[in-house]
Amino acid sequence: MVAEHPGVYLRLAAASVRATARRPAHLTARTLAAALIVAIEVAGVMLMLDQFGSIGGWQPAEVVVLFGLGFAGQGLALVFGDTLEASKVSELVRRGTFDQVLTRPASPLGWVVASYVDTRFVGRHLAGLATVVWAADRAGVAWTPRRAGLAALAVASAATIIFGVLMAAAGFTFVTVQGSEAVNVLIYGGQYVASYPMQIYGSALRFLFTWLVPLGLAIYVPALGVLGRPGPPGLPARLAWLTAPVALAFVAVGGLAWRAGIRHYVGTGS
Amino acid sequence: MSLIEVAGLRKVFRTRRGPVEAVAGIDFRVEAGEFVGYAGPNGAGKSTTVKMMSGILLPSGGRVEVCGMVPYRERKRLARRMGVVFGQRTQLWWDLPLEESFELVGHLYRIPRADRAARLRRLEEVLALGPLLGVPVRSLSLGQRMRAELAAAVLPAPEVLFLDEPTIGLDVEAKAAVRDFLRELNRSEGTTVILTTHDLDDITRLCSRLLIIDHGRRIYDGTVEALRTAYGTIRVLVVDLADDEPAEVAGAVLTRAEGRRRWFQFARDEVSAAELIARLLAGHEVADLTLEEPDIEDIVRRIYRGETPP
Repeated sequence: MVAEHPGVYLRLAAASVRATARRPAHLTARTLAAALIVAIEVAGVMLMLDQFGSIGGWQPAEVVVLFGLGFAGQGLALVFGDTLEASKVSELVRRGTFDQVLTRPASPLGWVVASYVDTRFVGRHLAGLATVVWAADRAGVAWTPRRAGLAALAVASAATIIFGVLMAAAGFTFVTVQGSEAVNVLIYGGQYVASYPMQIYGSALRFLFTWLVPLGLAIYVPALGVLGRPGPPGLPARLAWLTAPVALAFVAVGGLAWRAGIRHYVGTGS
Repeated sequence: MSLIEVAGLRKVFRTRRGPVEAVAGIDFRVEAGEFVGYAGPNGAGKSTTVKMMSGILLPSGGRVEVCGMVPYRERKRLARRMGVVFGQRTQLWWDLPLEESFELVGHLYRIPRADRAARLRRLEEVLALGPLLGVPVRSLSLGQRMRAELAAAVLPAPEVLFLDEPTIGLDVEAKAAVRDFLRELNRSEGTTVILTTHDLDDITRLCSRLLIIDHGRRIYDGTVEALRTAYGTIRVLVVDLADDEPAEVAGAVLTRAEGRRRWFQFARDEVSAAELIARLLAGHEVADLTLEEPDIEDIVRRIYRGETPP
């Protein structure tokens, strides 16, 4: 499944970026729009939290650090994974484009991901990072290499998990052909849940988004370390090391689902 | 061993209304260097067969081997040795100048740089692509794009080329350009071509062999000439009489009359055209006459309808 010749996929990705760059005004507008969503969301959260003062003992600025990490991860995942969204995959199938992908001497996943890199989500990624820096400053975080590393870990793990969800959903789409919105609940719902201190949730929701779709683990736990908090009972900051292996395990499961989807597609040619 | 071997090949699709047998046990072999026309009415199972031969689709039963490989099992390895052109879709990079598509194909199929340059130069010349290299693919006309698709498909020098309606929607000149190119490719490089088409002109002009399938079964496999001989014994003599009198000729049947024009149908193996014309001229004054050969389109339509050779 993985590239036997990564250079080819880099070239494909470069070609897809060049194709988008041929319409610079369009690209700029879309990139700004992708970034603006972060700003609007953060402004809304700040306004709301200011009414409460704090939530679960967290200051508004600390909560916004979680939001920023989530958006930075989501943006990164969508740069490569937006094309795996159910509606886009079913479009590839319906137009016969995917059949053509299968006639290429390349991995279908590598081909699809590299051919439809969506640069506008770089805007969301950067807006997420900017939010982290801004909010951490307001929350009085003194950056150290360790804290920066934890923030990077959170972003990378969140991106990996979201990409895994997208892969699994794409695999599922090969079976159903119809695009399903269910995946959005997992991605956007999961990210939203992970954007608030996890201790405010009931145990079922907490379990779901800590261990099954581990966005909570990926964003919240490293963020504890960034903010110098010990974490609630059962989810201490020192679990941060678990984030990377769990994210990798999750993306591997997503990859298996994708493969199963392809196998189904080749079997039925739906 | 043949380049393509298909034996008892089947594909059953499960649909809401129960299983549908799209390909119901097809057998054929194609030798290296053949140019095979693959025809059949819509829904006959043509594209399903092609998909199984190119590794896109898994057979439900039977055997298929292309270039000594089982397509679905060695999809990527086979992909390096086969070219595919689907007339309705593009294999090119839509938003980028044409030359970038060739560049990408070169890398994708790991064509050594020097070979690629030489081969591309020749393709550019034969297909008159030179002036189009800097043009984004989306701005090409259909005819230009089809020439570009062919160039991209054969750039890696595939052993076998699957074409699906490569001339659909093209004007006369563009069709001729595509056909000339394919004929030359098959002749000079020995590329095996499987041409799926509804355009029987493509087939009569290009293919040494014709495969017709219907309802997922092979209903004809042979040369176009043999098809004509088997089905084409009926000819029609069209006569413009000098006057309006009733006319009849021994050995032919009057099938139609319009003003002074008469259509006489006769069988080639019963009476020769020369003999018939002599008989006619003996009894009637004739202003003009033409002889109609059965056209392949008619013959194939009769085969689709299930008629057997007379």
